[in-house]
Amino acid sequence: MIESMPVEPSPGAGLRIEGLSRRLGQRTLLAELNLEVGPGECLALLGPSGCGKTTTLRLLAGLDAASAGRILLDGSDITQQSAGERRVAMVFQSYALYPHLSVADNLALGLRIRGMPAKEREGRIAAVLELLQLTELRLRRPAQLSGGQRQRVALARALLRQPRLVLLDEPMSNLDAQLREELRPELRRLLCGGEQPVVYVTHDQQEAMGMADRIAVLRDGALQQVGSARELYARPANRFVAAFLGRPAINLLPATGPRQLGLRPEHLQPVAQGGLAARLLRREWWGNQQLLWLESAQGDLRMLVAADQELPPALQLGWRPEHELWFDSHSGERLPGP
Amino acid sequence: MKEQRLKPTLVNSLLMLPALLLLAIVFAWPLLDSAWLSTQASSVLTGLTPLANGGANWQRLLGDARFWQDAAVTLRFAGVSVALELLLGLAMALLLHQPSRGRGWLRALTLLPWALPTTVLALGWRWIYNDPYGPLNAILRACGAAPFGFLTTPASTWLFTVLADVWKTTPFVALLLLAGLQSIPAELEESLVLEGASPLQILRRLTLPLLRPWISLALLFRLAQALGVFDLVQVLTRGGPAGSTESLALYAYLNAMRFLDFGYSATLVIATFLLLVLLTALGWLLLRRRPLELS
Repeated sequence: MIESMPVEPSPGAGLRIEGLSRRLGQRTLLAELNLEVGPGECLALLGPSGCGKTTTLRLLAGLDAASAGRILLDGSDITQQSAGERRVAMVFQSYALYPHLSVADNLALGLRIRGMPAKEREGRIAAVLELLQLTELRLRRPAQLSGGQRQRVALARALLRQPRLVLLDEPMSNLDAQLREELRPELRRLLCGGEQPVVYVTHDQQEAMGMADRIAVLRDGALQQVGSARELYARPANRFVAAFLGRPAINLLPATGPRQLGLRPEHLQPVAQGGLAARLLRREWWGNQQLLWLESAQGDLRMLVAADQELPPALQLGWRPEHELWFDSHSGERLPGP
Repeated sequence: MKEQRLKPTLVNSLLMLPALLLLAIVFAWPLLDSAWLSTQASSVLTGLTPLANGGANWQRLLGDARFWQDAAVTLRFAGVSVALELLLGLAMALLLHQPSRGRGWLRALTLLPWALPTTVLALGWRWIYNDPYGPLNAILRACGAAPFGFLTTPASTWLFTVLADVWKTTPFVALLLLAGLQSIPAELEESLVLEGASPLQILRRLTLPLLRPWISLALLFRLAQALGVFDLVQVLTRGGPAGSTESLALYAYLNAMRFLDFGYSATLVIATFLLLVLLTALGWLLLRRRPLELS
């Protein structure tokens, strides 16, 4: 997990989103979004499909028009600027490589359109190809590349633009799990920590936690919470954030009056006596840990324990009070303290 | 993304037999029969009995000024008509591709001219061009101009025949190219928009290259059809005036049905067929290059 770094930008530097909204007829795709992303900071937009994360990205890119609100980039208002004027780079989920062009020509096309002299263009392309270890593939066409290679070409094209803002739309969702894991540090090394803010859209909480300095969780077009992975995990703003972050998911006990208790699976533990009586239903052994499915008077529960821990079929469950997460059973907002 | 291919086995080959047989009956046999007939004298003079006459039909063809004029008319007709159809069809496809209200209805409407039988359409145009009573002349008169004989001089008859053909077949080209446009993922265009490309640059750098297989397809289809044009000219102009719109197919038809010279008609049919094969093969070679693979 990456610790959130204190971002103290010079005034106005970075990306600032103020009251950004998009409505389509009666539907609100994005409602009053306020966010700040510092220079070199990587912010993940996380949420289920239809939550507004891709909408936000398209608004930032200038591919769709905002219904209300402002986008400020390094202090200047770019809300009314066209997509071509913004100097924003975007990596699409499908990579959007031009299928009729070689890798080198895929990179060159944008620079050609901007009218960069051939000599400067060639130099820049060669450097980016080198950086991403694509030099040997430069004459291939996208159809002749593997998924990971295509993704590197898409990244190269984004970097080549020397963008003021980098947007990534589920850039790894077409890759297999192992490659995704391997690529995360590389992606961070290449994109983050430079001058430009990075906005990274994903529905994968693990990817968001692994990639981003801060995470913004969206649901139905509304921002739920923004903060470091640690903050979101330990102090979720509401039931939705608590349930969306963390696998296996948090145990939400039946509401008792106005309050509802949430307990993370790794915070449950067997106790000698006086705990919540439970019966073991099923066990998933994962090698490094095991997930236990339990039945109790408080409904079915998930408990995560060490892989070698032996447990009887009937047991008592306990937890530490500081691990209790209490929610308003009606609104779902987290309540302070037990 | 490797295509799975079946290995050719005896059983697989045998399964192809019915299709091959059908093709042989409806395509190869008539063609071979015509080729054979082109080496025979078979007309009223021989009592319609085929008699071998060596290469006399072919010799006659080479010296036949009417054949050469009709070949030129057919080539010019096909060339200009297909070029116009491609240009207009592309423009129409680009317009129909834009998101708009009632796009489905608009697309269906566009296809109507193509769905009309050519004979009906040709009769319609003959009335539209009618001098002096047709609708076009009514408009001219309403504007205070003198009526115009659209189908009276060779040059204008040729031109207005081409326009009638363009009107009918442009929707076909548009539909084909529209299918091509829809196969291009939207992100490709968006990516270029982010690079600061103008609509014209997008058309030139992205849309046209990716449309090339579809353009080739439309071109080949239309070229083959236009080189064999028959019903339009038969109904609209009967090949006149002064043979200015007489196509090779019409000439072959006249030889068989009017002059009852089946041997020479078959010679014309085979000559037209060879011309068609030659031109479509040429078009195919020019446009083929590397096939595009959309990932």
